[in-house]
This record gives sequence, structure tokens and C-alpha cells, in this order.
Amino acid sequence: MTDTTTEQPPVLRTRSVIGLAVCLAIALGGIFVIPGFESQAGFGVTFWTMAALELLAMVGVAYFVLNLHEE
Amino acid sequence: MASISIEYILYEDVGMDPIALQAGYDLLGDGRPETLWLGIGTLLMLIGTFYFIARGWGVTDKKAREYYAITILVPGIASAAYLSMFFGIGLTTVEVAGMAEPLEIYYARYADWLFTTPLLLLDLALLANADRTTIGTLIGVDALMIVTGLIGALSHTPLARYTWWLFSTIAFLFVLYYLLTVLRSAAAELSEDVQTTFNTLTALVAVLWTAYPILWIIGTEGAGVVGLGVETLAFMVLDVTAKVGFGFVLLRSRAILGETEAPEPSAGAEAQAAD
Repeated sequence: MTDTTTEQPPVLRTRSVIGLAVCLAIALGGIFVIPGFESQAGFGVTFWTMAALELLAMVGVAYFVLNLHEE
Repeated sequence: MASISIEYILYEDVGMDPIALQAGYDLLGDGRPETLWLGIGTLLMLIGTFYFIARGWGVTDKKAREYYAITILVPGIASAAYLSMFFGIGLTTVEVAGMAEPLEIYYARYADWLFTTPLLLLDLALLANADRTTIGTLIGVDALMIVTGLIGALSHTPLARYTWWLFSTIAFLFVLYYLLTVLRSAAAELSEDVQTTFNTLTALVAVLWTAYPILWIIGTEGAGVVGLGVETLAFMVLDVTAKVGFGFVLLRSRAILGETEAPEPSAGAEAQAAD
């Protein structure tokens, strides 16, 4: 039996795609701003800021992946 | 001409670092032989990233797209972290009581793990079709595991270092328990493809992730049995296998396809031949 129904590819949610790109930029930025930031703010502030940025980026990726498509 | 250095250094003061095995090649000429392993790690992570991008190009299946998005980002960020460590970014020194020399810590490594390990668990949770509360708990405990490991690495007394290591290891055991019980039970209700892939990936995670606290405790951040060169090499091998190897197994599996795209069993051989 042939299936005659045509499945439309799921539509990506633009907001989620932009969100993923922003999270990627935050995660990358968090790593590469370390030297400049450390010279200005000191090690302790840099350490916690970097950790917070990476966690934020990870949570963002998880959220936007789980909401990647239009309902 | 410089050569690859493999040296056994016996310290006379038997503090925290009785024997240190060093290996590597100082690629940048800045006195860091571990740059060889960091450079190789960068390349392997980049190869993994581009392979996953090429493999996922044009994928239209809704479920598969989610796996690709996560699995591409994991080695992508890891390659950036390795590149930063290659150039000496995120390298700090920590004075530890009882040690003659300050410890060199690549704390950018922890930034990489903070981002990537929860995402690897998210892949497993999605595969097992876990609910959002389970995903949140797993990710939260994993983040706690990495942050406490990082605090341990930056602590100034051996007691504080080992206490934070123990805290981090307990968090890891909780993650492992959750994977092997709650998530495995959830996966057991799904198709045979999903169960096989889930069990393979869980075994991979259990074995590889167990090696991390062991390496930490015998490495420069713990007892100092192995030097920074060997430690960096071992972490690189573990990282590449745990990220690129994990993604390779996951994305080759039919288990990641949603119901609309999953091939019929009779089409399985054809799908494998296409690989």
C-alpha cells in the first residue's frame, strides 16, 4: 500500500535559532574574554563570571533545543 | 632541533608530587610541552564538529534536528576551549600549602565541561524521552559536579582540595545512578533501537566519566603522580572520545529519528548500506 500523504518538513522557530546562535556566542566569548577580563577585574570575579556565562549558555541551548520547532 | 620530551622526574621533597611523568612537545616555544596534546585536541574536536555538521546538513526530521543541534555544539565549544588552552588562555597558578612550586591549572577546561557535559546528558535524556523535571535535576547535579571540581582545583590546601574532589565525585555518582536507573527505566519502554543506543552510550559515559575523577586525583591537581603533559594527553583522549565518539555513536543510530522518519525494519539494511 502506498502512503499518499505528504509530510511538510517541520518549521524551525526563528527565535530559537537566534537564541542558539546567541548562546554559542556567549559560550565562546566566555572562554576568550578571560585574559582581558582577568587583567581588569582580577581572578575571583573572572572565575565566577566565566562559570556563570557557561552555565547560562548551556541552559539557553537546552531551552532553545527543546523549543526548536513551531508547534 | 627540539624533540618530544618524555621525562620521569623524581622530586626529592615528598610533598604532594612524589613522581611526575612528563610528556609532550613545546609547539609554541613558551615552555609548555602539553601544547602538543592541546593542539591535537583542538584539531580532533574541529574534525568532529565539521563531520557532524556535514552529516546533519539537510536533515529535516524534527527529533533528529534536536540531536544534531546539541551534538554539533558539544565538540564545537570544546574545540574553542582547547584552542584557548593551546594559546595559554585560562591558565592560572595556584599556591598550595606544602608544595614547593605553584600548581598550573587550565581552568578553561572546566568552562568547557560546564557547557558540554550537561548537553551530553541532555542527549541521553532526550533519547530516553525523560520528562523536563528529570532533565533539570540531571543537568543541575552535573553542573554542581563540575563547579565543585573547579573549586577543588583552585583551593589552597590539600584538605580543601580533596574534600571538594570528594563532593564532586559524590555528585558524579548521583548522575551515574540517575542514568542507570531512572533514565534506563524510561528507555526500556521505547523501541529496541533506542534501548540499544541508550545502553551503548550510557556504558560509554559510565566508563569514560569514571576515569576523570581518577585522573584528577593522580594528576597534578591531586597527588601529582603524573605530570601536566601526561595529564593533558589523558584528558584530551577522554574528552575526544566522550564528545566526538559519543556523537558518532548517537548520530549513526536510527534511534534519533522521529516516528515520521524512522525506516521500517525491512529498510534497515538499505539505510545501513547508505552509511
